[in-house]
Amino acid sequence: MKNKIINRRSFIKGGFGGTAATVLSLKSARAAGDFDHYPDSMGVIVDLNRCVGCRSCEAACNKEQGLPEPEKPFNDYSVFDAHESGGHGGAGRRTDETRYTVVNKYELPEIDHPLYRKSQCNHCLEPACLTSCFVNAYTKTPEGAVIYNADVCVGCRTCMIACPFYIPTFKYSSAFSPRIMKCIFCYDTRLKEGRPPACVEACPQEALTFGKRVDLLEIGRKRIRQNPGGYVNHIYGENEAGGTAWMYLSPVDFGEAGFDVHVPHEPVINFVRDFLSIVPMVLVIWPALFAGFHLLANRKEQNKHHHIDGGEE
Amino acid sequence: MKLFASEKQEIPISDHFKPDGSRWTLKEKLLLGLSFDDYRKQLVRNPLNWLILIIFAIGVPIIVERFVFGLGSVTHGSNDYPWGLFLAFGLFGMVPLSASGFMLGTTVELFGRKDFHPIERLALLNGLLGYFFAVIYLQVDLGMPWRLPYPMVVSLGPAAVLFLVAWHVATYLSVQIAEVLPSFFEWIGWLKGKRMIRSMVLCLTIAGIILSTLHQGALGALFTYPAGKLHPLWMSANFLWIQFLCSAVFGGLSMLIIVSTLSKWFLAWRCDNQFLDSLDKLTLGLAKGAAFAMITYLGIKFMAIAHDKEWVYLFTGWGQYYLLELTIGVVIPMMLFAFAVRNGNAQMARVAAFISVFGVLWNRINTALIGFNWHMYQEIPHWKEVAITITIFTLYLATYRFILYRLPILYAWKGEK
Amino acid sequence: MLITKKRGIVWVVAMGVVLLCSAAGRALDQSDAPESVTIGLLEELYEPVEFDHAGHTEMAECSDCHHHTAGTVTQRWNCKKCHTNPLEGDTVSCADCHSPNRFDSQYLATLDNPELYHVEKPGLKGAYHLNCVGCHQEQGGPTGCEDCHAMTEAGEQRFNAGRYSPAP
Ligand code: SF4
Ligand code: SF4
Ligand code: SF4
Repeated sequence: MKNKIINRRSFIKGGFGGTAATVLSLKSARAAGDFDHYPDSMGVIVDLNRCVGCRSCEAACNKEQGLPEPEKPFNDYSVFDAHESGGHGGAGRRTDETRYTVVNKYELPEIDHPLYRKSQCNHCLEPACLTSCFVNAYTKTPEGAVIYNADVCVGCRTCMIACPFYIPTFKYSSAFSPRIMKCIFCYDTRLKEGRPPACVEACPQEALTFGKRVDLLEIGRKRIRQNPGGYVNHIYGENEAGGTAWMYLSPVDFGEAGFDVHVPHEPVINFVRDFLSIVPMVLVIWPALFAGFHLLANRKEQNKHHHIDGGEE
Repeated sequence: MKLFASEKQEIPISDHFKPDGSRWTLKEKLLLGLSFDDYRKQLVRNPLNWLILIIFAIGVPIIVERFVFGLGSVTHGSNDYPWGLFLAFGLFGMVPLSASGFMLGTTVELFGRKDFHPIERLALLNGLLGYFFAVIYLQVDLGMPWRLPYPMVVSLGPAAVLFLVAWHVATYLSVQIAEVLPSFFEWIGWLKGKRMIRSMVLCLTIAGIILSTLHQGALGALFTYPAGKLHPLWMSANFLWIQFLCSAVFGGLSMLIIVSTLSKWFLAWRCDNQFLDSLDKLTLGLAKGAAFAMITYLGIKFMAIAHDKEWVYLFTGWGQYYLLELTIGVVIPMMLFAFAVRNGNAQMARVAAFISVFGVLWNRINTALIGFNWHMYQEIPHWKEVAITITIFTLYLATYRFILYRLPILYAWKGEK
Repeated sequence: MLITKKRGIVWVVAMGVVLLCSAAGRALDQSDAPESVTIGLLEELYEPVEFDHAGHTEMAECSDCHHHTAGTVTQRWNCKKCHTNPLEGDTVSCADCHSPNRFDSQYLATLDNPELYHVEKPGLKGAYHLNCVGCHQEQGGPTGCEDCHAMTEAGEQRFNAGRYSPAP
């Protein structure tokens, strides 16, 4: 069922009334949970032990994706200290409409050098952005990228609400052609042709390892096993949010390196399923139920009227 | 207007014919039967109109700014808080308060409680306007408002909760227009149209219940997407939708109590005796319904916490805030409603309704803005965002008043029906 | 593209030749090593680096960089499990083992071989930096990018630095 997402979506694209749509919406939401992932999809594993905070990846992404000129040069490392100015609640800089990826610095007492962490879209296996989008603007490609189609997006920003990693950003600065701005795994320019994304290629430290997701998991486990004490025994993204294509290794607890460790280990759509499952019930049961009530009530009414003076309306 | 109404015999207009037997023209109906000069005088004399004018003078340019320079020019353009006041108040707040339409429709048309008839139309109008302005708020907030129909016609994403909201709000808006149209038809005197709608009323009402149940719930379900971002006390994968639905029931009823009260206070000249005389009794009836919904709501809230084993959170600062919301927003008005019903004290029910509407709005804002990103900083909306929100709300009130002045909502049309 | 293939390969080959001049089968002597090596792997963005090989042989063991191929026994427990032969390998150049195209699809396809043990051998650029920067951090050598690499104009463009700095 390799093309399941695509198929079931194009299948529904026919266009029909709201009621039918909601019945189907339940079905497809169910399907989302059972979706077996593209087995050969690609990913990247980011090793916090290796990253030196050179920001080469940020620079490469900026040029590859044609993003606006940054405020400060990419070799200016003072950006790491300006946490407050990030407006992200001291959580460091975050992705925004001018940058698809950012590197943040974490000074931790237990290690003698600072840790750096690159963040970008994690290209979830069951992306919350995709499942929450009501115009189907997102696609998970068999290569593993979660890409976005600005031509159908209405700018409701539900994907930003839904993404557990705070990744999609909105081009608030534009009145006439706003859009979601987010890392697309360099899909159109590179991934599609089997080439590594620009940031990976730029990284001098090979802190970013590109490969098949299944192989990366193996590499990650191997690194953990072979460097006892060097890593915590967890690959962030193996299960987070149902699994992501971009994953992380860290020498310290992930929470200390700015990761959200409360991200549930199941796809976001699972939390919505409860509601979706009642939709058809309401659609089927309500009409009969309330028509029944109406008949009952009217019978009473009529009886009453007969007793008094006979009904009027 | 009160003044004119007491001076002149023929107004307020409630018939097609003037006392002298000639027909009111549409223009005269629009001007409430006043001459143009009188109408203007009436406008100028009312201090409320000046307030409205001031608000528009400040707010309208800001709305223009939003559409010319983008959302970022009037909000903080936060990527952490993608939804601000426009949706938290305008959509998530207005929609539950507009649940009155489907509930009174159900009560009167389905359950045959004809005694609620005098406020049925007010309830329907309240529903219609609430939804309509929720959509206006949405239009201000959407990045590409001109693509509003996309989820219906261009690109469908039916697996998304918002898809359901979009379809249902759109369909329900049409249902509500249809439900309010009879008053309009009476007013312009097109009886055929009224009869047509009358014949569909049962279908419309049932459609109203289905659509309302689902999209009121869906608004809650939307907040189960950010499962990890919303504070666990407010978040509940299993119960959030039913909490939203349930609070919409008492929110809608309370809102109806408020608008009927305001009508009685400020628009008494426009109300007919049937409305004025039955209002106290009906208010208590609504209060009873609201009290029941509130008790159910508290039960579900309790269940949600028990189900997710979140008792520990209650002892944190967040827990106290949560309990404060429940106490002020639900428990107190519930008790007031209960006392009011028991003692037949409509005045107390009105106080309770004000608190309860505030409670519902507060809950929606807590869910969408305060409990959201609870482990992060708190976003405070930009003042321009607040200004736009107030401006649109003012427009809502003005429209509301404009319609109440004219259509047979608070009074029964005296001409042919 | 970060790596300009042609010139990169030219110097890699040169380095290989230099190193291969020494007779195989014998531990390399420090004196066999090249005085200096020009590394131009990143030459699009940075000027080539003149690596003072001789200088570094005074500060480090051959095996610190050349693992088990320079005729000295490696100290890494994991490598020692197999690479017990203290003899010099056929090749000692970094580029002979570490691919400059670590992530292209051809290379990635070779990882599918279930017999392959070195599934995560770093690419050439990674190998350099992981080794150099790691040691520089420990030994207090320079670690900033531009301490070793002078930016070219293309580099300044890429980083919005120097002449291409954003207006303040
Ligand atoms: S990280 Fe966020 S934006 Fe990226 S695929 Fe996952 S849900 Fe979507
Ligand atoms: S994958 Fe491409 S788009 Fe994403 S961060 Fe890297 S360079 Fe940018
Ligand atoms: S390029 Fe590599 S080492 Fe440099 S900041 Fe990015 S991830 Fe870290």
